[in-house]
Amino acid sequence: MNEVTRRDGAQEPAKREERKEALVPAVDIFEQGNALHVIADMPGVTRESLSIEVDNNILTLEGEVKLDMPEGLSAIYAEVRAQRFMRRFTLSHEIQADAIEASIENGVVHLVLPKKEIHRPRRIDVKAA
Amino acid sequence: MFGDLRRFDVGQPQGLDWFRQWMDEVFPDSPAADIRSVPRGSYPMINVGRTDDAVRVYVFAAGLTAEQLEVSIQDNVLTVSGKREAPDVAAEGQAARTDFRRERYQGEFSRSLALPDGLDIERTEAHFRDGICEVRLPKREELKPRRIEIQAQDAS
Repeated sequence: MNEVTRRDGAQEPAKREERKEALVPAVDIFEQGNALHVIADMPGVTRESLSIEVDNNILTLEGEVKLDMPEGLSAIYAEVRAQRFMRRFTLSHEIQADAIEASIENGVVHLVLPKKEIHRPRRIDVKAA
Repeated sequence: MFGDLRRFDVGQPQGLDWFRQWMDEVFPDSPAADIRSVPRGSYPMINVGRTDDAVRVYVFAAGLTAEQLEVSIQDNVLTVSGKREAPDVAAEGQAARTDFRRERYQGEFSRSLALPDGLDIERTEAHFRDGICEVRLPKREELKPRRIEIQAQDAS
């Protein structure tokens, strides 16, 4: 699973402009059992504002920060200076894209990407000659 | 919302982190930083905003619950502390796990920031939702902006 750093030239300019303001969420990625797990910190993102897409073997994790802020709020100090989180990864061929499961709790997204049946490790018996 | 914050010069956006670090190495004499400022991307990130009647502190603490986050104020310094547990690796009792990336913060943390003067600490309230803790610190009555009536003078 390599991270996509190359910008997709085919995207329309307006969309690309918007993407610049997105934050990159910190992620943990690990493999356990027959699946890859992706855990991403996306505080303020709700179940409704989270979008996960797989297109052309590219996994896009995107979410909007839903935060009620009063009218007329002006900033004194800001470390988070965008309203969106976005990160993309390329999937390897053994991931079963239509079986990806996702959950979100307290702003942490947990993705489970199962591997295809045929790619699961198999024990090979060595016969005595 | 926070799009408005971009006009405040508090460093580069997060995505440009590597570039900023490289620039800092090449040109080391950066302007004076706040004594309690932390490197970009530290956990949890904090935003502070001001309205006419209150100061609001937003703590972006993904993965915590209200019980796991402690907010305290002493001498007008707000301290946010807590602990984010490592994921329960052993508890799942599953096969061995291979890590590819470990970017998420784990363990204890504590961050402090100086508050502006004139806040009514007694009436502070904090709410936690979807990984963001919002602390509302109302301003004292005498510091709120006041409208002054202009009296028309009779042209007598």
